[in-house]
Amino acid sequence: MATTLKDKIAIVGIGKTPQGTIEGSTALGLGIEAFKNAIEDAGLEKEQIDGILTHPGTTSPEGATHYLRFAQAVGLNPRYTHSLVMGGGSGGALIQSAAMAIEHGLADYVACIFGDSARTGGTKFGGSMAGGNALSQGIWGMFGPHANSAMGARRHMALYGTTSEQLGHLAVNIRNNANLNPDAVMYDRKITVEDHQNSRWIVEPLHLLDCCLISDGGVCVIVTSAERAKDLKQKPVYLSGMGQGYQAISFENDDWWYLEHQKSALADAFAMAEATTDDIDVAQLYDNFTVSVLFWLEHAGFVGKGEAGPFVGEDRTALGGELPVNTAGGNLSESYMEGWLHIYEGVVQMRGDGGPRQVEGANLCLTTGRGMNLNCSNALIMRNDG
Amino acid sequence: MADYTKTLPTLDERTDAESLAFWAAAHDHKLVMQRCTACNHIRWPIGPVCTQCLATEFEWQQMSGKGELHTWVNFYQGFHPEWAKESPYNVALVKLEEGPIFLSNVVADDDDLAVGIALELVFDDVTDDVSIPKFKLAS
Repeated sequence: MATTLKDKIAIVGIGKTPQGTIEGSTALGLGIEAFKNAIEDAGLEKEQIDGILTHPGTTSPEGATHYLRFAQAVGLNPRYTHSLVMGGGSGGALIQSAAMAIEHGLADYVACIFGDSARTGGTKFGGSMAGGNALSQGIWGMFGPHANSAMGARRHMALYGTTSEQLGHLAVNIRNNANLNPDAVMYDRKITVEDHQNSRWIVEPLHLLDCCLISDGGVCVIVTSAERAKDLKQKPVYLSGMGQGYQAISFENDDWWYLEHQKSALADAFAMAEATTDDIDVAQLYDNFTVSVLFWLEHAGFVGKGEAGPFVGEDRTALGGELPVNTAGGNLSESYMEGWLHIYEGVVQMRGDGGPRQVEGANLCLTTGRGMNLNCSNALIMRNDG
Repeated sequence: MADYTKTLPTLDERTDAESLAFWAAAHDHKLVMQRCTACNHIRWPIGPVCTQCLATEFEWQQMSGKGELHTWVNFYQGFHPEWAKESPYNVALVKLEEGPIFLSNVVADDDDLAVGIALELVFDDVTDDVSIPKFKLAS
């Protein structure tokens, strides 16, 4: 059997900033604040960080050269560095890059960083996805990221009988988790399924309360070898499984909307972890829109194809249910950090630090990310020492 | 027609040669796509090589204009000031008889839409130069 990275790499530090509306914030500043908090959490000195992997925010002017600006700003000459732009797929993919670099000796302590002032920084998420080219989808009025997910939701509803009310139950259960997380943007705002149903259409069949927030904030995750992790401040959280999958061809593929590439990301992660869905105690599933969670549940095999609607509609993803999902509130209700807070919360749960939202006795957490035009996906399976 | 204020194709003669041909055909009320002359695969969207065999050579093939509704959405949020005036409006994915999925609009009452219904091609002559391929319920 080939050697794998199973449990050889650990997350040893997490840091974040306040989330939501942060007047005067910049993507760079938020990333730096999260970085400072993460190295303090890990008990490391700045100079020990020899790998810097960054996900430029939508408001980062540096774009793909953001890694240089970040390293310069924090005064480091890393041994290993790059930026990656995969939207909500960036965090998980960067952590996997960090794991490979560490395993092969290219770096010892890698900081993976995201910061964005998307809320106050003037970014609009409504631009035409195809840009201003000769076949811009805007010619047919197709704008913004909602519509692709709405297309998938409509087809899932048509083929499998999934309902908006079922999505409403999911939105409420994720909000209930945010109501237990004082750091969540929606901490003090409760919703009901009726509120979900009465919220305005954004792109039908998605209501406002099917959609993620837009937020300012930063998140940093520090990764090292499991061996080094033993001597650090925090309980190590091991990376047991990891996988990625991409879908570049879409309009030549009838099933593009079903996001089959997520299956390969998940299958690789479960295979590496030598785990099954029965072993997963808690999951942080990328929720740009409610319907995305349904695809993850089906692709991971928690339910069969087309069966996720009733699963979420029966509140089985609630805290206390058989598979608590997005225990900190997710993109929908905690903050839209493009999946980075899903990784953060996975670590919190594996450390047992979730407080009122902690899943008791949780030993294995599935975390997923997906970005760009629904086409970049990845999965991480995190494990604690039990 | 001169006052059409919604999104129009922007054509760069240097980089968009194939797209120019697509829109020229649309002006003649034909929906065309690239068929690889090496393996016959029809590719979409427009690309520099066959997505199956990587051959460069292709011919434009006229689509029959028949398809079925793969899925659709209704825009309520105003992402574009001119389109917003028409909200709610639909954007649809049409599975063409020849294989590819084509993003378009269905000129119909939303109450008549359902996944899988038969559609047929129509053209919306929005300016003197531009005709946009759209669909209607099959007769």
